[in-house]
Amino acid sequence: MRRHPNSWPVFFFFILFLNPAILADSVYADEYLKVTGPCRFQFPRDHGAHPGYLVEWWYYTGNLSDPAGKRYGFQLTFFRTQISPPGLESRWPDPASAWRTTQLFLAHAAISDLDASRFYFDQQMARGALGLAGAEQQGDDTRIFLGTWSALIKSGKHFLKARADNFEINFTLVPAKPLVAHGNEGHSLKGIKPESASCYYSFTRLETSGTLKIKGKPVKVRGTAWMDHEFSTAPLEPDVTGWDWFSLQLENNTELMIYLLRTSQGGYSSASSGTFVLPSARTRHLSVKDIQADILDHWKSPHTNGVYPSRWRIQIHPLKLDLILEPNLADQELITPETTQVNYWEGSVSVKGKIADKEIKGVGYIEMTGYANPFNLLK
Amino acid sequence: MDTSLKEPLIVTQGLTRIYNLGTTQVVGIQDIDLEIPSGELVVLKGESGSGKSTFLSLLAGLDHPTAGRLRAAGQNLHQATPDELNRYRREVVGMIFQSFNLLPTLTVVENVCLPALLAGRPYQEAKNQALKWLEWLNLEKRLHHYPTELSGGEMQRAAISRALINEPSIILADEPTGNLDSRNGRIVIELLSELNRSFNRTIIIATHSKLADSFATLQFYLKDGKITETIA
Amino acid sequence: MRRLRFFIKLQFWFSLRQMRAHYWRVLAVLFGIAIGAAVFTSIRLAVDASLDSFTQSMSLVSGKTDWVVTRPGGRVPEGLVARLNVHPAVETASPLLTSYIKIFGEEAEPFLLIGMDPILDRSLRGWQVKKTKQRDVRLWLDLVREPNTVILSQRLAQRYNLKPADIVTLEHIHQVSKFRILDTLQPQGLALVNGGQIGLADISTMQEFTGLQGLVDQIDLRLKPNVTGDDLADLKNLLPPGIILETPTRVKETGDMMIRAYQLNLSLLSFVSLFVGMFLVYSLVALNAASRRREVAILRSLGGSKRLIFLLVLSEGLFLGIVGWLLAIPIGSILVKYMVQGVSSTISHLFVRVHVDGLRLDPWEILLSFCVTVFICLLAAYGPAREATSIAPREALFLQDSMPRQRRFGRQITLLGLLLIALAWPLSKLPALSGVSVGGYTAIFFLVLGSSFLSLWILQWMGSVFPPLLSRLGGEPAFLGGRFVRDAGRRTAVSVGALVTAMALFVALVIMIHSFRSTVALWVNQTLAGDLLLRPKMAGFNQYRDHLPEDVVRVLRALPDDVQVLPFRQVLLHYAKTPYQIEAIDIKLFLNYGSFLLLKGNFEKIVDPVMTGQGVLVSEVFASQTGLKIGQRYRAQFGKSIMNVPILGIVRDYRTRGGVVYTALEPFQRMSGNYEWSGARIFFKDRRQDLKKSAEDLKAMIFRDIGQSHPLEIISGEELRREILRIFDETFAITTVLLLIALLVAGLGITTTLTVLVLERIRQLNTMVAVGASAGQIRSMIFWEAVLMVMAGESLGLICGFFMSYILIYVINRQSFGWTFLYQVDWSALLVSIPLILATALIAALPATLLVLRSSPALVLKES
Repeated sequence: MRRHPNSWPVFFFFILFLNPAILADSVYADEYLKVTGPCRFQFPRDHGAHPGYLVEWWYYTGNLSDPAGKRYGFQLTFFRTQISPPGLESRWPDPASAWRTTQLFLAHAAISDLDASRFYFDQQMARGALGLAGAEQQGDDTRIFLGTWSALIKSGKHFLKARADNFEINFTLVPAKPLVAHGNEGHSLKGIKPESASCYYSFTRLETSGTLKIKGKPVKVRGTAWMDHEFSTAPLEPDVTGWDWFSLQLENNTELMIYLLRTSQGGYSSASSGTFVLPSARTRHLSVKDIQADILDHWKSPHTNGVYPSRWRIQIHPLKLDLILEPNLADQELITPETTQVNYWEGSVSVKGKIADKEIKGVGYIEMTGYANPFNLLK
Repeated sequence: MDTSLKEPLIVTQGLTRIYNLGTTQVVGIQDIDLEIPSGELVVLKGESGSGKSTFLSLLAGLDHPTAGRLRAAGQNLHQATPDELNRYRREVVGMIFQSFNLLPTLTVVENVCLPALLAGRPYQEAKNQALKWLEWLNLEKRLHHYPTELSGGEMQRAAISRALINEPSIILADEPTGNLDSRNGRIVIELLSELNRSFNRTIIIATHSKLADSFATLQFYLKDGKITETIA
Repeated sequence: MRRLRFFIKLQFWFSLRQMRAHYWRVLAVLFGIAIGAAVFTSIRLAVDASLDSFTQSMSLVSGKTDWVVTRPGGRVPEGLVARLNVHPAVETASPLLTSYIKIFGEEAEPFLLIGMDPILDRSLRGWQVKKTKQRDVRLWLDLVREPNTVILSQRLAQRYNLKPADIVTLEHIHQVSKFRILDTLQPQGLALVNGGQIGLADISTMQEFTGLQGLVDQIDLRLKPNVTGDDLADLKNLLPPGIILETPTRVKETGDMMIRAYQLNLSLLSFVSLFVGMFLVYSLVALNAASRRREVAILRSLGGSKRLIFLLVLSEGLFLGIVGWLLAIPIGSILVKYMVQGVSSTISHLFVRVHVDGLRLDPWEILLSFCVTVFICLLAAYGPAREATSIAPREALFLQDSMPRQRRFGRQITLLGLLLIALAWPLSKLPALSGVSVGGYTAIFFLVLGSSFLSLWILQWMGSVFPPLLSRLGGEPAFLGGRFVRDAGRRTAVSVGALVTAMALFVALVIMIHSFRSTVALWVNQTLAGDLLLRPKMAGFNQYRDHLPEDVVRVLRALPDDVQVLPFRQVLLHYAKTPYQIEAIDIKLFLNYGSFLLLKGNFEKIVDPVMTGQGVLVSEVFASQTGLKIGQRYRAQFGKSIMNVPILGIVRDYRTRGGVVYTALEPFQRMSGNYEWSGARIFFKDRRQDLKKSAEDLKAMIFRDIGQSHPLEIISGEELRREILRIFDETFAITTVLLLIALLVAGLGITTTLTVLVLERIRQLNTMVAVGASAGQIRSMIFWEAVLMVMAGESLGLICGFFMSYILIYVINRQSFGWTFLYQVDWSALLVSIPLILATALIAALPATLLVLRSSPALVLKES
């Protein structure tokens, strides 16, 4: 049985935004739905929301360029959280207000204008009611939306729209490979305890095209994107101080996803892992022992004084993979004082290295958390 | 120096003052012609209503004549403006009243200083000057008393000090002994005489009492507003 | 500099020592000034505090809102929120649903419960629970996810001894429900609104509690920067008919305007005390100067200039002003607390709810009060100062004090007085300026001043004509008293003038208040008729937006046949910036039991069209404030429908907070599509029964049936009348207090005058004793002088007061508030008060009589 990696980063990422609230509801965790075995995905049904599970996200990142060769990175993420355990609706007043809901939605969008060295970020939050936010399905189409931001998943195409103060995206994404279910049919273990699990799949390579507007100036872009969809109820294990997550798309039509959980004792948790996706979309699970990650440089944030790794060397020995990852822009830090007070680094990187002694290049995204604030969920 | 060639201190020509009270006219003085040289002790004599006070008030610059000329200390008082009269009252004349006319809310030394302060002199200078005269007049023990705490004689001596503080060339006294007993009255007349002799002030006393007669160097008798007799 | 030092020295020697020697009269004047200044300042501070509270509340509630989406007289569908939030020009669109709520079982004031979406609202309004934001995040999430949860302001929680995790029962017309308190708000931002009496709930909870699922009161918009006119137009097009976009300051501007106008009215009224105090200063300074003629002459004879004398006397006024103002500080600091209470209560009743938290000592107000007080005193001292310069230096030679000649001014003053009185009439015809009856107040001022100027003539007249009669009544002393009054001249006239002022105002106000009260009582009985009046609890607070729930309507419909239920619909609207209510009721049925006090219009001709909804009746206030007249169209929008009918009649109505438009219920319901009841009036058909008992029984029955689950206000007609009159009495309490203070100050003036006049005549009086007059006869003479002075003041004041009452009712009230009343004189109150004032004034004469007999005649006559 192949053990597949899981996407802790996004899960934790989400937890960061709601940390005390949700954590305090761990008492309710027993009442939420749990992932206990194979997820038995059915599509397009499972592109939609999974109420009853505590958290869920649809996570898009990508690297694009315009006809002049200017490069951009983008991120659009929708999070859903269940704010009260399933079944509690029976205790609602009758008739209940249309504002009453069990779902809260958050969304992040970011654009890295790499050649101009500018980074733009926006965030939104709304309850899942009255058309303010939600994840709806009509026929085969799934639409996740929050305000004017939306991800529409149709069969064979994804459409992303978001309008922020400084930028606007309108992208069409076409999967170049079928989706990949991580773990055992999507059942992805997240920790030492068996109840720590999620349902998780990804589109690891999406051909992307569309219009990007930065400060009102439109530009046509093309490139590749990555999409994660995951849902879970599992709380995080306590000794984790942060994580580093990598999604890399290599020019030989393979993809690599690595997740490294840093512990308070130093080093990485044994739950850390990775996935290698072959051109055929077959996957190979990577355990923490297979992965060697070295930090080559650091960057100190002028905003938060957090010191982030800024250059990595990733070696996957079983694959004879030796890659150097460099951020395409030093400052891709997201700062969120208003909502979550958690700051992290999420940005576009360039990949250069060797696979079995052959030169290889690629693009990707790295997410690094816990460097600016101590990532301590129990506080 | 031949003093007889010097201008007299006070000269009047046809000096007249008539009062209008409603529809009636009352003659204060009429056609007074006289000359008073400097350094004299003049007594104006006459009964009540003879015009002494009227004449004195004109000499003091307290009033304006209806007609005639009045020249005193080189100033034509009949033509003087209110400001000029004010200055004249401060600097040329020292006035002593029958009812003393000390301000009841001021102490003795404050009363005496008042004319000097009104003339714009510094307070310390005024006080020193006041103390000098008050000592001369034996009032050094009464400096901070109010008028209501003084006897009649003391009040009049204080009033005399006040009249002297600006070193006036003319001292006018309207019935200075009128409110005093004979002993105190005599003391006051002697003081005025002393001022005339030792300090060479020109003193003009309006009185119907005989106390001052023996000290006078010049006397005028008034009746019904006119001079009836002059005794040098 | 030396001159200044000397002047100050002289001031101390000459004036202040004199004042110290006669400190009682000085204290009396200082007290009068102090009271006047204290009243003036504390009134202004009190209204400022209300204004601050109101402005702050409005600002805090509106927060960073740029525009507000509302439906006049109704509520906004919630579906608009999402559509507005995705509009490119909108940063955030946040819904609000608010209501005044009571804690079940507590009779105290309700608090404001604000229902909102904490997420949409976070960039508009500020509130914080604990010092760290982490806790806040968790708390608003609890608010959202858990039904029936609330966060209370710290002050509210403390008041009812509530803590986080406590359960509290809240009541609203829709239901009575238990709530769990999550936490308390830090006293900042939104928690300061409504004097800190506030709670926050999630909008879902609020809708469920109030039964308003699907609706919100308003949607507050914060727009993106650089929004253009086209964007706004586009936004407006998005809105369905009947729903408008308006600025958040509309409510603030209206309230602001009303409070400021009220402040000006009250300031002018409080100024009266200071004004009367001016007479006191004039009295004292003039009397001082006059009684020390001799000393002034001595000063002149010693070389003091006219200018010196002028400044010396004037600075007495300055001294009285400054010290009086300083004395006002402790008085004012006590007074202001009561003023704040009274004023804020009145403003809440008449205009908008205010809840004063604290008092701000505005340095400008303090400076204003200082300057006004000192100016008044300088003005008062100016006349005597000028007069003192006319004292001739030769008076120093006189043996006795002389009396100044005054007769030649007498005629001029009298003519001036008549002229001022004559000018009052055309002035009263002038229109108002920004809601302030400038012409009216000026007319009153001229009337009062003119009447005061006539006091010289009337004293002379009385002193000439009355003595023969007086000698028959009181013998020789009375005769002499009369003669003296005739010759006493301007100084006496001034004190009498003060009494005239105070008396006139008193009379005018007694008449006005009585007229007002009687008319209001009539209105309540006729137009607010009802054996029982029923509406949702706190309907007034909640601006009549809540309607009676179906359950309640059902119970009312099921009442027995001997009871007539008259439902009505009440909606609060705005005509331009003017708030008003429309009341729709079955006019035909109503006229069986009550009536309208028709001011304009022919009742016979208009009753049928009004009953069938073909025209409306508007209140006098509505007509005054909007300028609409009979025959013009009344136009208003209700949802998609527009009402456009002629105004057929103008009626008297004394509702607070704006005018009212009456229309027939059924046509209104059909037109608006809204069949809800705002409330109901209940009548017993058999009018011969014991109505009071029947009403009590019915009230108890309704409470039993439905009152527990749907909090209602049920009040009998009689209780309502009492309540309304109580509010009006409260409103006028301040005015009455101000007037009594003015009377007190005037009384002090009489005391002072009499005392000093005695002192001036001490020689004459002791001469009388020396020639055989007894102490009793002297006292009697002074007594008769006092009688004549007071009679002069009272009679002039009475006549002036009648004219003033007319101006107050038909000019000032109409221009300031929009209403007039039926003129009615409370003869009993007037007739009782007149001898009372006389008696008080005569007590004021006592010090003078005691004084005259204190000194020995012999001493005084010694000098002659």
